[in-house]
Amino acid sequence: MAIRAWLKERVPVSGDDLRALTNEPVPKHLKRWWFCLGGTPAYLFVVQIITGILLAFNYQPSPSTAYESVRYITEEASFGWYLRSIHKWAATFMVAAVILHQMRVFFTGGYRKPRELNWVIGMFLLLCTLMVGFTGYSLVFEQLSYWGATVGGNITESVPLIGPFLKRMMLGGDAYNERTLSRFFILHAAILPTLMVLLLVIHVAFLRLHGVTEFEDPDEKDGDSKTFNFWPDHVMTELKIGLVLMILLSALATIFPAAMGPQADPLTTPEVIKPEWFFYVTFRWLKLFPGTAAVLSMGFIVFVMFLWPFIDGFIRRRRPKSEISVYVGIVAVLVIITLTVWEALVAH
Amino acid sequence: MTLRTKQIIITVLALLFLASLIVVQFEEINRRKQEAGLTEHVITVPENSKRCVECHVEQTPGIIAHWRGSTHAEKGVGCVECHQADEKDADSFRHEGYVIATVVTPLDCSRCHKTEFDEFERSHHAKAGNILESLDNRLAEVVEGFRGDGSGIFNPHSPTPGRADLKDVNGLASAMVGCKQCHGSKMALLSSDGTSLTQDDFKPDPKTGQPTNLNAVGRILRDARGRPKFDPKTWPNTGIGRLNLDGSRGSCTACHSRHDFSPRRARQPENCGKCHLGPDHPQKEIYEESKHGIAYRDLKHKMNLDSKSWVLGKDYSAAPTCATCHMSGNLRNNGKVTHDPGERISWTNRPPLSMAMDTDINHRVIKEKDPEKRRALVHDSWMQKRQRMQEVCSHCHTPDYVTSFYKQYDDFLQLYNEKFGKPGQQIMKALRANKLISKPQFDEEIEWTWFYLWHHEGRRARHGASMMAPDYAHWHGMYEVAERFYMEMIPQAREIAEHAKKDGKAKEGQAVLDVINAILARPEHKWQATAKVGK
Repeated sequence: MAIRAWLKERVPVSGDDLRALTNEPVPKHLKRWWFCLGGTPAYLFVVQIITGILLAFNYQPSPSTAYESVRYITEEASFGWYLRSIHKWAATFMVAAVILHQMRVFFTGGYRKPRELNWVIGMFLLLCTLMVGFTGYSLVFEQLSYWGATVGGNITESVPLIGPFLKRMMLGGDAYNERTLSRFFILHAAILPTLMVLLLVIHVAFLRLHGVTEFEDPDEKDGDSKTFNFWPDHVMTELKIGLVLMILLSALATIFPAAMGPQADPLTTPEVIKPEWFFYVTFRWLKLFPGTAAVLSMGFIVFVMFLWPFIDGFIRRRRPKSEISVYVGIVAVLVIITLTVWEALVAH
Repeated sequence: MTLRTKQIIITVLALLFLASLIVVQFEEINRRKQEAGLTEHVITVPENSKRCVECHVEQTPGIIAHWRGSTHAEKGVGCVECHQADEKDADSFRHEGYVIATVVTPLDCSRCHKTEFDEFERSHHAKAGNILESLDNRLAEVVEGFRGDGSGIFNPHSPTPGRADLKDVNGLASAMVGCKQCHGSKMALLSSDGTSLTQDDFKPDPKTGQPTNLNAVGRILRDARGRPKFDPKTWPNTGIGRLNLDGSRGSCTACHSRHDFSPRRARQPENCGKCHLGPDHPQKEIYEESKHGIAYRDLKHKMNLDSKSWVLGKDYSAAPTCATCHMSGNLRNNGKVTHDPGERISWTNRPPLSMAMDTDINHRVIKEKDPEKRRALVHDSWMQKRQRMQEVCSHCHTPDYVTSFYKQYDDFLQLYNEKFGKPGQQIMKALRANKLISKPQFDEEIEWTWFYLWHHEGRRARHGASMMAPDYAHWHGMYEVAERFYMEMIPQAREIAEHAKKDGKAKEGQAVLDVINAILARPEHKWQATAKVGK
C-alpha cells in the first residue's frame, strides 16, 4: 500500500482517469476488421520500428560498407534474414494497409466536416510512408536501389523552379555521391519516423476529439447498443489482427525471404530499372507522359487529394445528394490498380 | 447511395487492389529471384532458330536443354547465330534452309567476341597444337603408338574374338584420345581420294577463313545429304589449341563447354583440371593442396559463381580459383578479364629449364641469351607480367608478403635450374655430342630418365613452388628430382661412358666423365662424393 501511495503521490493519475481515457465507447461497426484498417498500419509501424532498430545495429550507411552490411545481416547475423524479411514485407503491408484505410475513409465519407484536417494529416502520413519506403529501398545499395534513387533524383529535378534544389537536398549533391546514403539513412531511420509519430499523435488526437464516424448500420436492430468498449473489446480485435498479420509476415518472410541483388555499380546501368511496387503508378505515369508534364500532373493530383474534403464539401453544399466522391474514388482506384499491374508485368 | 452499396464498392475495390498486389508481388519476387540468379531466365527462342529447336528438342534434347540454360539463350542468341556459315567455307553445308557448319571455331565466335578472340589467339593456349612437332607427341605417336608413313596404320597380328570388324590398327589412337583432346587436333575432312584435307590443303584466307585452294574444296567427301565428312582421327575434338579448317587456332568450348557456355563452370578449377593435372603438370592437384584450394573447397558457396560480373574484391573475395589469378578481372585492374593466361605469368616452367617470360611482339617467349639483343626484342617483360599477377595477390596479401613469396619462388626455380636442370642438360648434350647415345628419342634408358627428371618431377617441383603446394615442391618434386639425378641419371651416364671407354671410344667416354665429374665437384654436389668416400 505504501508503494501505491508513494507512486500515486508522484504520478497523480488515478485508475478512473485511465479508464475514462481508454474506455471511450467505440461505434459497433468497428467490430468488423475492415473498419480497423487505421490501426493496422499503426501496428505495422511498430513492427517496422522494432525490426528497424535491430537492423540498424548492423547496418553501415556508406557506399563501401552498405551492401556488405546488408549481406552480413541477410546471410550471417543470427535471425538477420528473418528481421530483414519481416521489415521488407511489413513495409509492403503497411503501404497496402494505409491505401486500404484511405480507401475506406474516402468511400464512407469519413473525411467530411468536421474531419477535413484529419484527412490532410492522413495525406501527410501517406507521403511520409511512401518516402520512408523509398529511402529504405535505397539503403540496400543494390543495383536496382541505387539506380532507383538516381532515377528518383532525376524525376525530382524535373519539377519546375525548385526541382534542382530539391534534388540537391535529396542526394546531398548534384548526383548520387558518398553522402547520399547517410542522408537517406537519417531520413529513413530518424526524421521520417519521428515526423510520423508526431503526425500519428495528432491524427489519433483528432480522432478522439471528433470521435469515430458513426454510420447507420443496415444490420443493426432497434434497441441494440450502438457502441462497445475500447478496452478490452476493441483492443482484442486489434490484437487478433496483429496476430494474424504476424503469422502472415512470418510465413512470407520464410517462404519469400528478402534476397540480395547485384551490388550497386554506378558504371553499369541495369537493363531494367524498377522502383518499389508502390511507386509503380508514378513510374508508369512518368513513362506515359513527357517529363515535366508528367511531374506537374502528378503534383496536381496529389494537391487535389490533399484538398479533396474541401472540394467535396464545396460540391455537396450545392448538391447535397451528390455522390461524386464515390465515382471519382472508383475511377482513381481502378487507374491505380491498372497502372501498378501494367508496370509490374512489363520490363520497360 | 446506401451504406450497404458503399460497403459492396469498398469490398470489390479492396479485393481488386489486394489481387493486384498479389500479381505485383508475384512479379517482383520472380524478378528478384532472377537478379539473384536463383531462377532460370525466361527464354524466347529466336525466330530464325525456331525450326532448329523444334526438331532438335526431339533429336538431341540435351543440346537444347544446355542452350536453354545459357546466357546466349537469355540474350536471344540462337543456333543459327553461331552455326551459320558461308557457302564458301570448307565445312559448310545446307541444312533445313540454312547454310551452317557443325564446328563453331574461335573465328566464328569472334563475330561477337572480338576482344576475347584476339587475346586468346595470342595466348599460349592457342599454341597448344604445336605439340604436333614436340617430344610429347613423339612419345604418343611413336613410342606408345605407330606413326609409320603418317597414316599410323599397321596390321593386327591376330584377330580380336567377336570383333571381326576390327581390321587396321590405328597407331595414332593414343595421341588422338590423349594428347590431342587437350592440345587440339589438326581438324581434317575426308577427301574423295581417300586422304584427309586440313588447313594446310585449304590454305584459308587469314581474314575470312575461307579456303583459297578450290582444288582441295572440290575433293571434300560428302554424304548423301551433302554434309562434309570429318576425319574421325581429328573430330570430335575440343583441344584448346585445335588447328581449325578456317586457319584459326583453338576451341572456345575447351573451357566454355558447349552449348551452355557456362561462365560458372569456367570459373571453377575443375574446368581447368580436364588437362592441367597428372604426373607432368599437376596444377589442379597442386591448387587443391594449396591454401587457395582449401579455402575454395570450404567457401565455394561464397564465391558468387553465378554472378554476371565476377570481379575479385567486388563480387567475391572468399578464395581464388585458376581463373581468378590467371584470367579474371579484379578491382586493381578495373575488372579487365584476359583470355591470355600468359599475361600474368613471369616464369615458364614448361621447358627443361625455367625461363623468364619475356615475350616478343608476336607474344613468343624470347630465348635470346645476349642481354642487349634480348632487351631489344622484349615487348612485354616478365616484370610487367608479374606486376599484373601481383595486382591480383594484393587483394588479400600485403606488398611485403607478395614480394617475399616471389623471392621464395625465384630462389626455388634458380636452385632447380642450377643444381639439376642445367647439369642434366649438359650431361645429355655431352652424351649426344660424343655420339654415345643415338639421335632418336626414348630408345635409351637415360633419355627416359632425363625426361622423367625435368618433364615430370622437375615440373611438379616448379609448379608446386609457383602455387604454394609444399608437398609437390618437395616430396613429389625436388626429392624425386634429386633421387632421379643422383641414383639414376649420373650412374647411367657413367655406365654409358665406361662402356664407351671399353668399346674403343675412350676419348668420347672420358669427355662425358669429365663433364659428370666437373658437375659433381661443384660445392652443391660435393656432399655426395664425400659420403661415398666415407663408405
